[in-house]
This record gives sequence, C-alpha cells and structure tokens, in this order.
Amino acid sequence: MRLEFQRRDAGIARMRHMSMATLTLQTCAFVVLAVAALHAQTLEQAETLWKAKRYDAANESFRVLVVAHPKNPDYKVRWGRLLLERFNREDAATLFHEAIEIKKNHAGALLGLAIVAADGFEAKAVEFAEQALAADPKLTEARVLLARLALEDNDPQKAGEQADKALAILPQALDAMAVRASIDWLNDRTDTPWIGRILENDPRYGDAYALGGHFLILNRRYEEGIRFYRKALELKPDLWSARSQLGVNLMRLGQDDEAREQLEQCYANHYRDAATVNSLRLLDSYKNYVTFRTGNTILKLHKKEADLLRPYFEAELKRAITTYQKKYAFKLDRPVQLEVYPDHEDFAVRTMGLPGLGALGVTFGYVVAMDSPSGRKPGSFHWASTMWHELSHVYVLSATQHRVPRWFTEGMAVYEETEVSSEWGDRLDAQVIGALKHKKLLPVTELDRGFVHPSYPSQVVVSYYQAGRICGFIAHEWSYAKLLAMMHDFGANMTTPDVIQKELALTPEEFDKRFFAALDAETKKVVDGFEDWHKGVKEVAGLARSNDWQQVLDKSNGIRDIYPDYVEAGNLYEFRADAYAALNNKPAAIGELEQYARMGGRNPETLKRLATLLAEAGKNSEAARALDRLNFIDLVDEELHRRLGDLWMADNNVEGAIREYRAALAEKPIDLAASHYNLARAYRRANRPDVARDELLAALEEAPGFRPAQKLLLEIMQSEQGK
Amino acid sequence: MLLAGGMTCSAATFYVTIAGLGGEPDYEQRFAQWASELDSILKSEGRDAKISTLKGPDAARANVRTAMEKIAREARPGDVLVVMIIGHGSYDGVEYKINLPGPDLSAAELGTLLNRVPATRQLVVNMTSASGASIDALRKDNRVLITATKSGSEKNATVFARYWVEALRDAAADADKNETISALEAFRYAEHKATEYYDSQKRLATEHPLLEDTGKGAGVRTPSSQDSESLRAGALPVVRLAAAKAMANDPRKRELVTKKDQLEQQIDELKYRKAALAPEDYKKQLTALLVELAQTQEELDK
Repeated sequence: MRLEFQRRDAGIARMRHMSMATLTLQTCAFVVLAVAALHAQTLEQAETLWKAKRYDAANESFRVLVVAHPKNPDYKVRWGRLLLERFNREDAATLFHEAIEIKKNHAGALLGLAIVAADGFEAKAVEFAEQALAADPKLTEARVLLARLALEDNDPQKAGEQADKALAILPQALDAMAVRASIDWLNDRTDTPWIGRILENDPRYGDAYALGGHFLILNRRYEEGIRFYRKALELKPDLWSARSQLGVNLMRLGQDDEAREQLEQCYANHYRDAATVNSLRLLDSYKNYVTFRTGNTILKLHKKEADLLRPYFEAELKRAITTYQKKYAFKLDRPVQLEVYPDHEDFAVRTMGLPGLGALGVTFGYVVAMDSPSGRKPGSFHWASTMWHELSHVYVLSATQHRVPRWFTEGMAVYEETEVSSEWGDRLDAQVIGALKHKKLLPVTELDRGFVHPSYPSQVVVSYYQAGRICGFIAHEWSYAKLLAMMHDFGANMTTPDVIQKELALTPEEFDKRFFAALDAETKKVVDGFEDWHKGVKEVAGLARSNDWQQVLDKSNGIRDIYPDYVEAGNLYEFRADAYAALNNKPAAIGELEQYARMGGRNPETLKRLATLLAEAGKNSEAARALDRLNFIDLVDEELHRRLGDLWMADNNVEGAIREYRAALAEKPIDLAASHYNLARAYRRANRPDVARDELLAALEEAPGFRPAQKLLLEIMQSEQGK
Repeated sequence: MLLAGGMTCSAATFYVTIAGLGGEPDYEQRFAQWASELDSILKSEGRDAKISTLKGPDAARANVRTAMEKIAREARPGDVLVVMIIGHGSYDGVEYKINLPGPDLSAAELGTLLNRVPATRQLVVNMTSASGASIDALRKDNRVLITATKSGSEKNATVFARYWVEALRDAAADADKNETISALEAFRYAEHKATEYYDSQKRLATEHPLLEDTGKGAGVRTPSSQDSESLRAGALPVVRLAAAKAMANDPRKRELVTKKDQLEQQIDELKYRKAALAPEDYKKQLTALLVELAQTQEELDK
C-alpha cells in the first residue's frame, strides 16, 4: 500500500452508518419522558432482545436503563457493546469512557475501549486490553484480543502465548482456539488440530474460519482469505460479518458480480456496516467506468477522464510490467488490473478495514486500485511513482504467493520507486527526521508493527521510510540479487530472522546495528543541522520579503545543502531562483530550479516557470523535458499539454506533440477550435492526412472563420489537387 | 456564431464599470485593479466606445446614478449598454445590494437606472458575491444578465471577475474565431475557469455563475440554444480582438463580406441539420462550404 505522506485522513467522510448508528446519545434527554412508560425494563430483557437480534428494541431498552440508572457502569458497557456490534464505534466509545468515569478500573469498559482501538488498528488497543486484564485477570476476551493484536503484528509466538493463557483460564475458549488455528493456517499448516477441537465443541462455529480469513487478508493472501470466509459461511450462513468480508474481498479481486450478490444479502439482512454499504455504492458507480484491455493489462478508468488518462496510464503500466518482469525474473500468469478513482472517497472504500488509511494506492493480488491525479491537489501526488510502487507489490506478492512480511514488500516498493528515477518517491520529511533524531526506528524483526499498530502518529510514514532504506541498504551493501533471494526465502515461508541469517549471514540484531550505523552516518548532517536549517530558512524568507536578494543568496548558500530534500513550500531553491532572477542572472535561476526538479520538487507552477525560463533561453528540448515531468504529477492541466505539444512540434517530436494535443482536447478546453487545429497540424506533420483533415474540419466546424485553420485547409486541398 | 447583425455601423456602445467597496486593503486593491484592466482593454479597442470606470471613492452611489443618467440622455435605441460590477454584494433575504463607498446601491435601484437607458441591447455582468439574488430585479427583455453566483446565499468573495477580465483579453475566449468576444463566449470562458479554479484547489465551489438572456428565466449555468438561453448573449459583442469591423466598412470588399456572411449562415444551417444527414454527406457538404469560405476570406485578406 502506498501511503500519503503529507496527510492522513481521519476517516471516510461518506460512511453511512445505518440502523442503530444513527441513534445518538444526544437524544437521551428526550428519553427521560419515556422512563415512566418503560420503568419495568431490566438488563435481562435488553440482553434477551439483543440475543434475539431485535436490535432496535434492545437499543431502546438499554437507553431507558441507562437513563434510569445513570451511575451504573455495567449498563453503559453492555449498551456500548451492542452499539459496537451494530457499527457505531463512536457512541460505543463514549459509553465506555462514561463507565470508566464512574468506575476507573471497570474491566468491561476497558475491554470495550480496547476493541474500539483494535478496530481502528490503534496501538492503544494493547494498553487498554492489558488494563482490562489487570482489573480482571480472568477476562479471557481481553487475553484473546491481545493474542489477535500480536498476530496482526506478525508475532505468532506472542500470539500463541496469549491464546494459551486464555485457554488456561477457560479451556473451552473457542476464540482462543481460533487464534491458535489461525497461527497454523498462516504457516500453511492446513491440518491444524485446533479446528477439530473447535468443531467438537460447536459444529457451527464458523467464526474460527472467519478469523483465519481476517488474518490471511491482512497478510494480503486474498484468495485464501476468500476460501476461509466461504468455509465460515458453510458452517454458519448467517455470519453476516464474514459474508460482508467475502463480498468486499471478492470485489477487491475484481469479481464484482458475486461480490454484489454477497453484499446485497448482507444488506437485505440488515447487516449494513460502512464497508457493506459503501462497497455496494461503489459497485453501483462502476457503470460510470470504462475498461480497456490489452494482452497483459486491464485498465479501468472513469468515463469522464478516460480519454485523458488512458495513453499515459497504459504506457506507464506496460513500462512497469516490462521492467519488473526483467528485474524480478518472473512473468505474471495473468493481466494486471489497474483501477483509477477520481474521487478519493471511492478509492478509500477499497481500503476499508485495512491498516493505514490515507493511502494513495493499494494492491490486491493482481488488482491495483489508486487515486486519479484529478482526485488530488495539483503537485501533491506523483501518480506514476504510486503506480510503480503498487506494481512492485504485484510482483513481490505473486513471487512469494503472498507469504512476505509487510516490511519487506513495502520496503521493496519504496526502493523501486526511486530506482525508476531519483526524482520519484518521497522525500525525507520532518517527521522522519524527528524519528531519526529520537531513535524511534524499530528493529527489523518488529518493523511490521510500525505499519499495522503505529504507536505514534507518524510511525506508519517512518516505517515506510525505514523499510525502503533497509532494502536500499541491502542492495548497496550486498546486491539487488540478495533482495530477490530474500524475496524467494520469504515465499518459502521463512521468517525475517532466518532470512537475514541465511542471506546476509547476520543475526537480526547485527543487521540492525550495521543498518542504523549507516543510516546515522547518511542522515547526520540533516538530523544535527535541522534546527539551524529551520532558523536559516525563516531568515531567508524574511530577506526575500524585503527583496534583499543578494542577502538571500549569501544566507541560503550554506544552509540549502543541510537539508537538500526539502522541496515543499518555502524551499530554498525557489528563494534562490527568485533572487537570481531579480539580479538578472537567468542561467543561475534555471540552475536552481533544475536542482529543485532533480530533488523531486513537484509544484506545477515552479516547474512551469523552469520551462518558461528554458524556452526563453532557447532551450526548447530542455523546456519540453521540464514540462513532461509534470505529466506524472499534474495531468489535468490543459495549458501544460498545449505548451508541451507546441514545444515538441518545434522540436520535431511529432508523436509526442500528438499525444499532448490529444490530451489538451480530452480536457474539453474553451478553445476547442484551436485544439483541433493543433492536432491537425501534428497529424499532417506525421503524414497522416486523413486524420489531419478530420481534425481540421472539426476545428472549422467549431469556428468557421478561424484563419490559420482556413489557410491549412486550402493548403491541404491544393496539395491533394496537385497529386 | 453569427455576429454580422450584432454591430451596426451607427450603433454606439456604452460601458460602465463599477468596482465597489473592498472592505480590506487586499480586496480594495484587487477590485480596483480589475476595473483598471477592464478600462484599458476597452480603451485599447480604439473604436468609438463611451467608457465610464468608477472605482475607489468614485464608485459612490451618486456617481453611479450620474453616470447612468448621462447615458440615458445620450443613448439611442439600437445602441449597446454594458455594465460590469465588481466587488462585494449582500443579500438579507429580501433585498440585494452592491457594497459601495457610502450608501449601497440596491438591485431594484440599478434596475430603475438601467430601464431609463433607451439602448435596446443591454448586458449586465454582476460579479459580486450574492449576485445571484439580483436576477429577479434586473431581468428584462433584451437584457443579458450574468451573475457570479447562483443565489444570494453564496456570500463568499468571488473569483469570477478575475476570469471575466481574462476572457476579454484572451484570444482563446473567442471560440468561434470571429475576432469578437461575445457575452456568451466571455461567460463560458469565465465560468469554465472559475470551476477549474475550485476543482484544482480541491475546494468546495462557493460560486456558481449564471446567464439569463430570455427576460424571464432564473438563469442557467451551461447555456445552450436548445433551451433558448444564449441566443441573445451570443449575438451581443463585448470586445473585438481585431479590426474585423473595419473590413466590413470597406466598400471595395462589401460584396465579399456579404458572401462570407452568407456562407457562414449556410454552415450554421448545415450544422443544425447534421443529425438528419448521413455522416459522409454532412462531411462532404461541410468541406465544400468551408473551402469556399476559406477562399473568400483569402480574397478579403488580400
């Protein structure tokens, strides 16, 4: 999964909580009036209604109970658990907190908070579960939750220990046995004895397979996960959470018809969590998409932008496949499907229930879903870098049959981005610098935890950086071939410590020591000098505001290279370019902006400025290259395509000009006639007279009095008559 | 779009540009700058236009009245009046007002002033916030009305004016390449750019420009001849990019100009019949007419 480094979305805005989710605590006051009428309600009655799946009635009963007994934490906790089951995490958490205010160490409330945190992949889940166990050491549900959390962190040993502790307290704890079975399934031990023990106790306990499915999906083993959800449903057809997940994951693999069928069953049976409802809505919206197939690619684009995106995405997709096929020495056995979403919320539906919200792209086996460049603010999203990142996942996951730790596949994907071009990938940012400074990086054997259960807000970002640097370090110190060997070892189900020992002849601890020492040396200048750099930039900004340009150059000279990766707003490259331009030194201004671009600067206006300066200096080819960069960053810009088309026409790159003029036309410009005319010129230069004539007619149909087009028409007619 | 009948030799065009109160230095400067740019675009045309630009303290209500009353005295039927309003507007649920230094000017008062002007073709471009609320009071037969917002509830400062100014000096706005930018072309350009601005900034659009030229509608965002909006706006020139008119006045070329007008008319008619024709037949007829038009234009350019 490719993460957005600049911002993490707090949630999916369009989640439509149905049913009880719409019932909020704010209406409690109103309920006071109802107390008299319902005074006979008891906890037992509420629980009975809940068990009978009469959720609305159960909710009302709990509401009345809580209003009648505001100081009873047990009622609040049970009501919270009901709300949790019915997809209302926010109000459930509020009730658990209220219970804790009444009784500080209420085990049930602490467990409730742990479940809420675990649902959101928050590291606090462990803390709450441990507090719950401290309050009630026999609370097996909390113990099982700890086991699940450990397994999510790819720590099967710890998970097994926690499950065993739960079984020691309650030998018939089926959920603990299901964790044990899941550990075996993840290790390809399909003959696990645990499932037999579970089914002896409860032949309908499909939940065990559903849990296995959850862990397989979390480890990107989608097809196996789907098989497990099917087994769960064979045992327990009304296990709606499993059916919903079956639908969601079928959809992830592009099996939309069955996905819809499964999800509609859930919906019809009142299982309407956000994943179910939003997935159905997304399936409905697929009528607005068009699919383009080639031998090894399937490209799914929104109709409104398909004409614009297709040439760029298809070409880049094919280039990535060709490159990776060679690099990984591995040929995919089926086409890669790439889905591009102009609405980030639609894309977000694809990542629901997975850790790391705020992603830009995500891979499900052979299906890749990603944001469209039109769905992001110009300059904030390098779509090609994201695509290559995800395509690397496709290869690594396929080569390993999805048996690969998260840190390795993410590390490879991050590493591959910058291998395409040093301008691609993400820059070293302040969050990572802070983590380096405060030694917050994780040992390699624990790095998965940084992705799945981050313990501080930027830990996911830091973990991506660390994983990428680890792969870069191995490629540099050993070889790229070592990375491939490690990939195949993981595919053979070897663990991280064993793979490191086998391929690098080091213990994980020795590897960490060498890696951290190299990273410290590499980043020392920026980590130690960050404060000075920060103060210096502020000073330079002040000097720029007062147009003191020579001082801007003098002051920034020493500090720019402390943190050369900084290319965001207020970067020194732009200040220096402004200063050189003000001092009439255009070649030096060009030099600064070229360095900005090489360092990965992506502000469209700045890159256009570079192109303008280059064109003014008569360097048309360089100007075209500067603008062509923007095609990976800000495709939705008619002016860019028109300018680049003109530059390429001047440079006699006719095919390039055709592509750009077509892109300009695909954006439905105001000046349609000029766009058709440009395309006609390019086709004519490319010796494609029929298409040229059609474009010219389109230009003149739009604007019959368009003089340059009229002249070209007469030229074409004369040349045709002369033949 | 045919504009041959749009500009007669004897018709005069009166332009009034009003840049209202900014409230903050940034807006004061921005509004005054746009008004100045409009002023210089109109003056650079070099034709016999009568231009009044009111900005800063000069944009007081009394001065607006004086300017409009003067035009009411001078203008004749057949003349063109173009009023462009930049600034902030307000709407209290009942009445829309343009914020001016001193007392504000209500849409109803502006409507009364406009009604006194005998020029039968009028264009009012109200680019203020909440300008959508002025449609009811300003709507009238033979008056093209453009607003930056769709209603009085869109109260944020607008960007439409910025792109309207840009439209009047950008050849790209001249979609039919007849070297004249009509009210419809300028509206489409500015509307497109304003939409693009909000899209690219990933901001919720707080303005939705409208065009009303039927004298009875509520305004539309994408005018088309199918719903009869755009007919008047398409035939109402705002600025010309070249001396096309001078050519029409040259007696030596009048015959060619007449032929050119006829050919353009035939092309328009053919386009309307496009759906009823076989594609190849349409293409053949269109090519023949376009070639003849191009040859006529070549003669004219000699």
